[in-house]
Amino acid sequence: MRFRSQRVAYWYFAVALCLFGLQLVMGLLMAAKYLGPDPLLGFLPFDVAKAMHTNLLIVWVLAGFMGGTYYVVAEESRTELYSERLAYIQLAAWTLMGATAIVGYMLGWTAGIKMLEQPYPLKLVIVAVMLLFFFNIFMTIRKAGRWTLTEGVLIAGLVLAALLYLPALLPYENYTVETFYRWWTIHLWVEGVWEMIQGSMLAFLLVRLSGADREVMEKWLYVIVGLVFMAGILGTAHHYYWTGVPGYWLPIGGFFSALEPVALVGMAIYAYAAMRRSGAAHPNTLAVHWTIGSAVFTLFGAGLLGLAHTWPSINKWTHGTLITAMHGHAAFYGAYAMIVLAMISYTRPYLTGNDPARGQSLGFWAFWLQIAGMFGMTLSFATAGIGQVYLERVMGLGYLDTQLKIQIHFMMLVATGGLFAVGVVLYIVDFFRFAPSHITAPNDADGSIQPRGAA
Amino acid sequence: MTKKQSRLFFLISTAVFTLVFLGLTLHSHTRFGELTHADKMSAQVVAGKDVWHHNNCINCHTLLGEGAYYAPDLTKITQQRGEAYLSAFLKDPSKFYSEERHRRLMPDPELSDTEIANVIAFLDWVSQIDNQGWPPRPILVSGATFPGTNTTSASTDSEPAEAQRPASVAAGERLFNDASTACSGCHSIAPGVDLAGPSLAGVGERADRTVAEAGYTGEADTGEGYLRESIVAPSAHIVGGERFSANGISFMPTHYGEKLDSDQIDALVDYLSTLK
Repeated sequence: MRFRSQRVAYWYFAVALCLFGLQLVMGLLMAAKYLGPDPLLGFLPFDVAKAMHTNLLIVWVLAGFMGGTYYVVAEESRTELYSERLAYIQLAAWTLMGATAIVGYMLGWTAGIKMLEQPYPLKLVIVAVMLLFFFNIFMTIRKAGRWTLTEGVLIAGLVLAALLYLPALLPYENYTVETFYRWWTIHLWVEGVWEMIQGSMLAFLLVRLSGADREVMEKWLYVIVGLVFMAGILGTAHHYYWTGVPGYWLPIGGFFSALEPVALVGMAIYAYAAMRRSGAAHPNTLAVHWTIGSAVFTLFGAGLLGLAHTWPSINKWTHGTLITAMHGHAAFYGAYAMIVLAMISYTRPYLTGNDPARGQSLGFWAFWLQIAGMFGMTLSFATAGIGQVYLERVMGLGYLDTQLKIQIHFMMLVATGGLFAVGVVLYIVDFFRFAPSHITAPNDADGSIQPRGAA
Repeated sequence: MTKKQSRLFFLISTAVFTLVFLGLTLHSHTRFGELTHADKMSAQVVAGKDVWHHNNCINCHTLLGEGAYYAPDLTKITQQRGEAYLSAFLKDPSKFYSEERHRRLMPDPELSDTEIANVIAFLDWVSQIDNQGWPPRPILVSGATFPGTNTTSASTDSEPAEAQRPASVAAGERLFNDASTACSGCHSIAPGVDLAGPSLAGVGERADRTVAEAGYTGEADTGEGYLRESIVAPSAHIVGGERFSANGISFMPTHYGEKLDSDQIDALVDYLSTLK
């Protein structure tokens, strides 16, 4: 790393990876519960494990985003952070909030709204942490007096993510209206502003890993983010199907969510073209894999598998089945888990002060086992979901009877989930093999920075 | 394309689509009341929504198809199961389903009588929401027949209700699903699932009404008599239109009167009478 305060990123990543590990424990537990019977029924029933699983995901991915942002902002604005201490306080508050939420769910303290289960006081803590974060970032940029488009898009994405959390703080009497605004947070996060974050992290990594021309990369970043919003904003409508909204949301949802893959195709081409031009010569080949992998897996999970059930006349039959779980797992993993893991893989050698090429075989095992495991999990959900749709929705077999008939797919899910877990454990082991370093040194960024704004 | 143009593309497309989205949102607010029957959203319904949230129901069940996929969709549950059933179920789910049979069970939610009444009122309000006719076919919790097999949720001895049923009903159900009799090859007992023959969901109830109707052309004078007649002489009274009959002759085979003995027919009638 070039700036000493960039080391805060190490601790954000460490927390993120621990929570990722815990998320997996919950995931495997849930897969086992699908097989049943459940010896933990009285202690940790499915609903609690599910709330933990999704909340841990949100908490760890955002911790990864925040850590990554601290690293990127220091480097792009070419300055030490405004306050390292504030960054640590923020991390502590964030971790404490996450831990309290998890323990709370076990004790039945929940708001009971899907993905926004955080009880009200914890929602306020989330807002406070975000404010602290933005304060630190803005003061850093103000101090430096310069910023680049890449970091601008990254920060804009995070600010918008925080703003879109605000509807979740309001009470709603009408369940349909509550659902309507819940998607402002969840959908516009994952199919809007988080993609902005992913895109800018991708741009940051590609400029460094491939030596691609910054001007060109930033120009296309505008186009990609433009395409994301063009399809993604009105694409929210695909969550409004069948929930008691006016009928025009159906064709709108179908049309615009069918367009959503366009931006993702763009992102994959963007990554591939940048690497192809430079011949992927960067010594940190593991980070190159994660970066390209994220773009490609997003296209598969979010783009292709989303498209598979987004049209209203198809969704009418697949709505609320395991088909959604198929798309959800591959999309979240490809877009957000992988971009954070790419960020970690790229920065880790600098944060721990060792050679980027050193000791990569463990890292590659982690990469391929995760990819294979997640691909297998996606197929398990897909086959289970297809079976469920035909048996339960089309033929009219009862829900519980259908679930018994698709048990074999849940066994596949446990097996492939286990494979994925091994990959994650190896990643975590690989990360913690090296202690954090305090040594600053020049890196890829030197000589390639073209700042905007007053220098 | 220059960077300036790409920035313009980003700004304009984002602004345009945000405005359209906000406009549609405003318009939706003018329709929510009517579509969700907000006038029927009583204090009890709102209290029931809180029960729904406090108990984290959404992390196993789906409602309006949204939630988790570990337990059945409850959008139309109050139209499929009466209030009395749902109250009894919520008091102790383990009386109705067993982990041995279905491999999963709802934990006892430990609700008070008031909370149970409230959450049922909430679910009943949800079931009335105008949501473009979803689900297109009823989503059943259990109890449907999978065509061509003898698998139903009630077909094993571990079913708690089994003990209370007369032996002839169980025998009739086995016969209904048996591969050689093959009633279930043409008739589903799931509502709205018409196979080669019409769905027999609710036929036990319907039979009584049918014999009393003016247009009834058969010779039976009780519901049970009508069910028996339908098995041995399918064309005595025709239902269901041209998908199931032509020129006053039912498509159903006529050999059941010879193929089945009178005990078997009695058992089938007993079983069909329970489909209400």
